[in-house]
Amino acid sequence: MNPLLQQFLSEARDFLQGIGEKLMQLEKAPTDASLMTELFRYVHTLKGNSGLFEFPEMTRVLHAGEDLLDAVRNGRVRYSQELADRLLDAMDFVGMLCDEIEQNGAIGAVYANDSARLGESLRKLNVSAHHPVEDKANHSDNPVETTENLTSAPARPETAIPVEPPPAALADIPEALRMKAYAIAQAGTPLCWLVYTPDEQCFFQGQDPFFLARQTPEFLWGGIVSREDWPKLAEMDAYRCLLDFHLLTSAPHTTLDEHFRYVADQIKIQPLSPLSFIIPVGDTNGGPVYEDFVGDALEFLETGNFGGLERAALTMLELSSPDLWFSSALRWLLLVLEHDPDNRPVLSGIVESLRNLDQPEWLDLQSQWQDQTVLTPTIPAAVSIESTETALPSGIVSLSSIDDFVLSLLAIQRQILLLPITESWQLGRIKSVAATLQGCLKAIGEFDQLASLAFAAEQSLVQSAAVPLLSWLDEQFHMPGKMAVQPLGSQSIEPSKPAETVETQPAKTAVAHEISTTADIDGEIKFGRRAEDVTAVGAKSLKVDQAKIDRLMNLIGEMVVSKNALPYLAGRAEAVFGVRDLSREIKAQYAVINRIAEEMQDAIMQVRMMPVSFVFQRFPRLVRDTARKLGKDINLIMEGEDTEADKNIIESLGDPLIHIVRNSLDHGFELPEIRRAIGKPMVGTLIIRATQESDRVIIEIIDDGKGIDPEVIKRKAYEKGILDEMALERISDQEAVNLVFAPGFSTADVISDLSGRGVGMDVVKTAIEKVNGAISLVSEKGKGTKIQLSLPLSMAVTNVMIIESDGQLFGIPMDSVVETVRVPRADIRMIKHSLATVLRGRIVPLKPINTLLEISAPPLANDDDELAVLVVRLGEESVGLLVDDFRETVDIILKPMSGVLAQISAYAGSALLGDGSVLMVLNIKEMF
Amino acid sequence: MTIEFKKNQVFFKNEVGVEEAELLLEWLQKKTAPKADFSACTHLHAANLQVLMATTLTITAWPVDETLTVWLQSALGVS
Repeated sequence: MNPLLQQFLSEARDFLQGIGEKLMQLEKAPTDASLMTELFRYVHTLKGNSGLFEFPEMTRVLHAGEDLLDAVRNGRVRYSQELADRLLDAMDFVGMLCDEIEQNGAIGAVYANDSARLGESLRKLNVSAHHPVEDKANHSDNPVETTENLTSAPARPETAIPVEPPPAALADIPEALRMKAYAIAQAGTPLCWLVYTPDEQCFFQGQDPFFLARQTPEFLWGGIVSREDWPKLAEMDAYRCLLDFHLLTSAPHTTLDEHFRYVADQIKIQPLSPLSFIIPVGDTNGGPVYEDFVGDALEFLETGNFGGLERAALTMLELSSPDLWFSSALRWLLLVLEHDPDNRPVLSGIVESLRNLDQPEWLDLQSQWQDQTVLTPTIPAAVSIESTETALPSGIVSLSSIDDFVLSLLAIQRQILLLPITESWQLGRIKSVAATLQGCLKAIGEFDQLASLAFAAEQSLVQSAAVPLLSWLDEQFHMPGKMAVQPLGSQSIEPSKPAETVETQPAKTAVAHEISTTADIDGEIKFGRRAEDVTAVGAKSLKVDQAKIDRLMNLIGEMVVSKNALPYLAGRAEAVFGVRDLSREIKAQYAVINRIAEEMQDAIMQVRMMPVSFVFQRFPRLVRDTARKLGKDINLIMEGEDTEADKNIIESLGDPLIHIVRNSLDHGFELPEIRRAIGKPMVGTLIIRATQESDRVIIEIIDDGKGIDPEVIKRKAYEKGILDEMALERISDQEAVNLVFAPGFSTADVISDLSGRGVGMDVVKTAIEKVNGAISLVSEKGKGTKIQLSLPLSMAVTNVMIIESDGQLFGIPMDSVVETVRVPRADIRMIKHSLATVLRGRIVPLKPINTLLEISAPPLANDDDELAVLVVRLGEESVGLLVDDFRETVDIILKPMSGVLAQISAYAGSALLGDGSVLMVLNIKEMF
Repeated sequence: MTIEFKKNQVFFKNEVGVEEAELLLEWLQKKTAPKADFSACTHLHAANLQVLMATTLTITAWPVDETLTVWLQSALGVS
């Protein structure tokens, strides 16, 4: 794996951690702008970094996250729990991808789907939270708001809008090419319309949008248009990109995303139905004069005489100039006949359009195409024929069939009116519905109602709402409910609607203009972002491999040891060689070296020190997720997160702490209803606090849950055989509660009916004791539980007391030493078979260390016949060790035993002394 | 040079880079009825393109590359 990737992974993990943290903090203060900005910056930088590598799956999710956060940051989307949930999910996914990369060096293709799904879910949040604002923006004159809306437009899933109008620019494509495209699309290859709006400043970023556009895969046609009117040449800035690229391609969406992945926010892809290509163009030659042909053609269609229709069209085509609009439409008619002869609505639509030389309107058919995602919609032939007939005022049909058909037509109009109107161009729908209704009224001879219809339609347009027209419709025809559920398949082509085409045009130009402004704003933001990146890079920390620090640690250890040789040397100079001056000089030098070495040791310790926040930082998430899962309301308070301890200590803390916290959440806290019933605040409080006490770190986990019932523990302990009857009577409540730490106590069946503490508590205890820590538990039934962990600041340097026994030196960790006393031999009694003495009114059992170590020599007394007793702590009790003599205490670097010696548990390890000799350090707990 | 000016006519050759856009703009600002020859051109940086799009231009020769021609024709308003 290359170093850059390695660094990326390590940084990515930091960022993910940071993101999680910020999200947690935001949950408490959702309006904190600076937090939001920082969160955004994290995601943004992480996304940027991921872009350095080929990880589109990762970049896609991060990009979606970034967009969403940007929207939140700018107040367009509100921060919510759901949003946080999804973002956390997404970040978990990214973390998983990081693992995957670390293991395999690449991301497997299997993640592509998840990535797309997550990206989509984030984008949806962006969109759905978006609509209210959008509506407002449409009616307000605030251009900023409007443009901001459009920023997210490319992200919007295409299906969010019921029917997307085909891009107007399609008409710019030469007819021959459009016909080819139609054939391709009809054959089953989906085509896409891609609008690429490069950033205005893109030339300065070394981009050539034209080149990128030219390289589009499966490229069919491309066009370039300007975003705004060209300035005068004299005022023109050649390096401000004002170009928009329009592309027609048959490449799949994913390939396009891949190709434009670096400018993903600047492209908009719209799937095209084959119908969108049918745009007859040409000279209208003064107006419609083809009534005869239209009549004939419709008749051919009606009778299914395609051959006749084709011949008629060919004849007309020969007779007409090829430049005419009419000829163009005929060519299309022939093409559709060739490729999709069963699609009568389309055929009749084209024929109809010849009547007025108006664009055939495919909007409804396209909605069908989008709904069904079937390329050749199969429409019941009978219905479509009927529809053609009714659309014709001159059609000769029986009265009953008119009624039926008109009713179904009305039902469809009603459905159309029920669609939400969110965009200005959708007002065209109202117009079209009005036109259709007008046609219907004429067809059934209800001319009287025309005026009221016109009024209702006008009202609808003025209010930009379908309601007036809808109520008119319901009033006039007493629409029964079942009408509304007519299958969409019976929808027919509506009579052409000149009003809509006119309406659509200005709206589109407006959109185009707004897009250009958007790009402008976006450009500025991006520049701002770059500046932010710079500050992020400037952080003054260094990442060092832990092995290097460990080596340094070992070296300083050896240094300390060899430094300790100097006093011996001084002693020898004086005693053996009799040079007192030299001895004094050596001692002076030693003092200097000693000071430096100590400082150095301290400095390296500092490097190894880590704040407990390293472990604590995962708790907000853990508590939040677990609490939500359990349906509990818990407020987590963390204190003293910057308390520091050695890295090894901190790392060993992680699992036990999680265990404890999880236990507390699961079994300690009551459900909110129960809490309220017993008069506690609904929200439980969990405090995790770290403090430093001299050379130890104290970590407390305090909850205000239901606590532990000592009676239950006692009973269970008795049942488990941990306690006998005698002990059961004697044991105090506090001692009983601490039984949860007893090995074997923590099996699931015991725990499930208990208040719970104790699931694996012996494991926790063992883990803590491994790093010379201690754990204690205080619990009050109904009030809560407090667990206290006490850990050494550092494991690297151990303070030991040296004792002498049978001419050998042993080290005993100062942690366990209570006191050193000299006891006259006369004060030592035999109780049963053990020695004991009374110290300050308490009986202290005595053990000769020689016996424990299986040395046959008896303990030596001093000149006053006093024995040296080293009182050590052994769990809750004190024991006196009979030794020969006490020596000094020293700081040593304890090296664990290796090889076969590692099996001997009586030794905690060994250390080098100043004179080069080896000191064996005893493990008191293991000796008894 | 990928861009060459002769009297009223500009010749584009091979791949015209982004730096040329400034020269081109300066030249166009001075000319009243400029002509352009793309016959030897294989690619044109977008900056050049938009400068040309902002001008009224007579094109004397289109590129050999057909797809480039299609692009240019759509951009320069001739079809």
